[in-house]
Amino acid sequence: MSSDVVNTKRAKSQALGPYGKVGNALNELDDRLGVAKGGRTFMDKIFPDHWSFMLGEIALYSFVILLVTGVFLTLYYIPSTALVTYHGSYLPLDGQRVTEAFASSVNLSFAVRAGLLMRQMHHWSCDIFIGAIVVHMARIFFTGAFRKPREMNWTIGTTLLILGIVNGFLGYSLPDDLVSGTGIRIAYSIVLSIPVVGSYLGFLVFGGNFPGTAVIPRFFILHCLVIPAVILGLVGAHLFLLVRQKHTQFPGKGRTENNVVGTPMFPVFMAKTTGFLFVVAGVTALLGAFAQINPIWQFGPYEASRISYAVQPDWYMGFLDGALRIWPSWSFHSFGHTIPLEVLVPSVILPGILFNIAFAWPALERRFTKDFASHNLLDRPSNRPKRTAAGVAVLALVSMLFIASSTDVMANFFRLPLNEVLWAMRILVIISPFVAYPITWKICKELQAVKGGGKRKTTNVVTRSADGEYVATPAPVYVDDLHSELEASQVPKFIVEEPDEQNESGVRTTDR
Amino acid sequence: MSEHDDHRTPVSLNGLAANDPHFQPAARNPLLVERVIALTFVVGTLLLVGFVYCFWVNAEPWTLGATMGGGLFLLGVGLVAWGKYLMPKGPFVEERHVLANSEADRNAFAAAIVERGGSVVKRRRLLAGLLGGGLGVFTIAAMFPLLRSLGPLPKGTLFHTDWRSGTYAVDITGRRVHVGDLAVGSIVTVYPEGKQETDRGQAVDQTVLLRISNEAFTTQKGRETWGPHGYIAYSKVCTHLGCPVGLYEQQLQLLVCPCHQSMFDVTNGAIPNFGPAPRPLPQLPLYVDASGYIRSQKDYDQPVGPGFWERS
Amino acid sequence: MTATSLKRIAMLSLVALFGMGPLVLFIGNANASSHTTFQTNRKNAGTPKSSTVVVDPSTGVVISYGNSAITYSAPSAALATVGQALFLQNCASCHGTEANGVPANGTSGAYPNLVGVGPATIDFWIESGRMPAADPRAIQANRRVARLTHKQALAVAAWVNSLDPSYPDVPTPHLKNANVSDGAALFALNCAACHTIEGDGDALAASTYSPSLRNIPAFQVVEAIRTGPGNMPRFTGNLSDYQVRDIVKYVTTEIQHPQNTGGLGLGGLGPVAEGFVGLLLGVGLLALVGFWVGERQ
Repeated sequence: MSSDVVNTKRAKSQALGPYGKVGNALNELDDRLGVAKGGRTFMDKIFPDHWSFMLGEIALYSFVILLVTGVFLTLYYIPSTALVTYHGSYLPLDGQRVTEAFASSVNLSFAVRAGLLMRQMHHWSCDIFIGAIVVHMARIFFTGAFRKPREMNWTIGTTLLILGIVNGFLGYSLPDDLVSGTGIRIAYSIVLSIPVVGSYLGFLVFGGNFPGTAVIPRFFILHCLVIPAVILGLVGAHLFLLVRQKHTQFPGKGRTENNVVGTPMFPVFMAKTTGFLFVVAGVTALLGAFAQINPIWQFGPYEASRISYAVQPDWYMGFLDGALRIWPSWSFHSFGHTIPLEVLVPSVILPGILFNIAFAWPALERRFTKDFASHNLLDRPSNRPKRTAAGVAVLALVSMLFIASSTDVMANFFRLPLNEVLWAMRILVIISPFVAYPITWKICKELQAVKGGGKRKTTNVVTRSADGEYVATPAPVYVDDLHSELEASQVPKFIVEEPDEQNESGVRTTDR
Repeated sequence: MSEHDDHRTPVSLNGLAANDPHFQPAARNPLLVERVIALTFVVGTLLLVGFVYCFWVNAEPWTLGATMGGGLFLLGVGLVAWGKYLMPKGPFVEERHVLANSEADRNAFAAAIVERGGSVVKRRRLLAGLLGGGLGVFTIAAMFPLLRSLGPLPKGTLFHTDWRSGTYAVDITGRRVHVGDLAVGSIVTVYPEGKQETDRGQAVDQTVLLRISNEAFTTQKGRETWGPHGYIAYSKVCTHLGCPVGLYEQQLQLLVCPCHQSMFDVTNGAIPNFGPAPRPLPQLPLYVDASGYIRSQKDYDQPVGPGFWERS
Repeated sequence: MTATSLKRIAMLSLVALFGMGPLVLFIGNANASSHTTFQTNRKNAGTPKSSTVVVDPSTGVVISYGNSAITYSAPSAALATVGQALFLQNCASCHGTEANGVPANGTSGAYPNLVGVGPATIDFWIESGRMPAADPRAIQANRRVARLTHKQALAVAAWVNSLDPSYPDVPTPHLKNANVSDGAALFALNCAACHTIEGDGDALAASTYSPSLRNIPAFQVVEAIRTGPGNMPRFTGNLSDYQVRDIVKYVTTEIQHPQNTGGLGLGGLGPVAEGFVGLLLGVGLLALVGFWVGERQ
């Protein structure tokens, strides 16, 4: 690049480059940041096409919606347990003494335009966020996408799931309504159950014995500032690693361990993914419009001696609630101390084990399979029967725990004795993984045995010759078949590899 | 001739001709697809205009969500379709670069850290140790304001409630409970007088007062005088996770915790006979004073609520 | 319409969207009128309105609550003859011809003794359709369409009460001056533990259940509170008639006609139903769209 273009204004304004004003603006940017080469590479970044790759995007875009709607809610929500007398537009609460947190939550639902929509969208997108993370995580697991070199991203993702669950619980607690207050009470008791430090921890977190006065403002800061900041940072790291390590892809024609086949970042993928962001936002808004979620005005404010039956936490906490229900009442008393195992095991140790297995899985699998190689091509789940069976077993266990969180609702719905439903869930929780594992393993083996399994089927035309002989010949590829392109033609290179240059200082430059 | 056939400025051909099949749209009938997409954009935008209108006139909440959600959904669908059907269908390929560097580069990197760092630390072990010690002390020092300031220490507060000798039992409105108030099979939540509207009174002192017929009752040893005239009081705080045990089945004589369905036998010292609760609900000793009011003999004889380490 | 103008329209709508005009509008124009006044008085469940409880000294049974929020009236004794005939026809096969719970050739204790339970109890069981029982061996009788008319129920109550006159009588709540807010607070403290805060009811121990409150008429709410049918506890002197009236008002308005301002109520089951909707409709629908977006071409 000639120095007079860089240095003189006149030269710049006169010399409109081959790409016009946009091109000149990009040049200005490159002068200062040196982004041209990397930018071009990024524009050419290839995204493999597969529907299951969109699951993580649902989570990402739900998080965007959570941030936008969440900022809106902070404008009207007051994180205070100071008592006020409610005189708002929801008359059945008129004159009740409530906390400012509750009063402001009801007010933002009734008195602020679009406030209820924003609150409901926030809650729905939280349910979708964590649901999408779980489904995305299952996809990563069953296809082996967590293997070297992507173990770090698996760890980050699992951390994001935990943070999502924790932050969901904190946000659910903020309105200080009857249902969420019961949840905080249970959380306090769980903290209290931790041996040795439990009571100290409980007092420090809650600023005293339950209910304390500090919990709402503290949950607010954690929910709106600390944890979202950490999630945002980890999402950034997640995406950075994704770009740096490039996508995995399913095996197929022209796809190898050493390339990525798909559509480029700009403009194709960008259009599709931006469109998908709008679709996610649209679906969330439609849910927020037509499906009522968490009607706190019907629950009323929390008072520690009030309680409603049939109260459950949000779905992502359900497995913990289910575990607490079905765990037997085995408490440990000795040496003048109590270890509340009936609380500690299901609510602290069990999730601890589950998430630690998740964190450790890539290392465990490396150790047992002795496979230390890097992998960019994905597994078909049926080709890894043991891993698939193990994953299904854990999903079965967690699902059964989740179902166990609604024993009373099931007993009521089916008019069954509560005690029998609970015992049935105890048995189901224990046996479900042991049933799910061998069945899944067998199904995988059977699928492996199917000839051409997982490959796209082609039509055969059977003709009968004059002699009465039957001949099967593959049908000609249908001209308009969208998939014929991939199969038939050679895949051209989209990026031109340039030989490494040496600049004047003799330092070797590489683009990545 | 429609727009998509006109590749005046193609995305750098890189050796591909502009008419290369990979640059063609996937749609069989691009013009039709374009019209459909245009329709989604127009309808979507109209819905968003509708949102502004609904907002302006303060319409029902669902209209806001329906217009905004529908508008965003349609714009999104149109944009996806644009990318999917009208943009170059590819597929294109990108080579992966091996992430690992050459042996020499790796060695140089490792050497920089191990040799330089190692030599400096090894030669100045004292300084390194002192700095490490200082940082360690700082970590501990930082714990004090970060942790200790957060709240008071539990001390004995978990072991006691506000029930004292002679405390009147009052309901949520502060009305004292008289021996004539409850019929057999009745229940009321009571608090120590004056505490019914405090956080501690609500969370810790809350007590269920029941009146049951004496025939069915098994008196626990040492509690012979605790239930005058069939009045029995148990802590309302569940021994499992602290939910209020407000669910009383008067024929089955069970107190049930609505959270996790622990069931306590009212006629037999509130011993749990089902569910995860490990201990009976503590019983509050009562007496009826000369004027006929229900009062407590003394505090609970054990900590109420869920278990914790210091509890014996 | 040319392709260029179509494209322009598309671009314009995109620009409008990227401008996030709608969002700016919420924040700029939204009217956060907070009606909350800041006071420090604590008010939980209404002021305790004095009600003189009159108790029968021999039995300890409450005779009256001495106020005008609810009128209790005994069924006319003139109906007793009709009532006896109805009783023999509909009830005596289980409760016995003497209403003492001993059927012909039966043992005592198998069925409830109705002598001395008071008219409100008899009226509640008949008018809620639970009696005459569809299945006398069922653990808990379900609410049904009443078999007997209101007058017939009163007649049966009149006859049974004539055997051993007792209380409470059949109530008529006067809801005009009721405070629905106090009723909500009292409902949360006294009723929600069994019936749920939405009034849907749920399964209880040993195959019993708390019934839904969605279809119960006002006077039956009073009867249930005052008599404690089945496993429900009785609420007597600890709830004044003013307070009961407030609860009845809350049940017959907000519980039976909830303000589902946010959309479909999802059956009042709360997070369970919400979870299913979020996972199936939310994640499921989006995964379907994702299937379309990400499908190989």
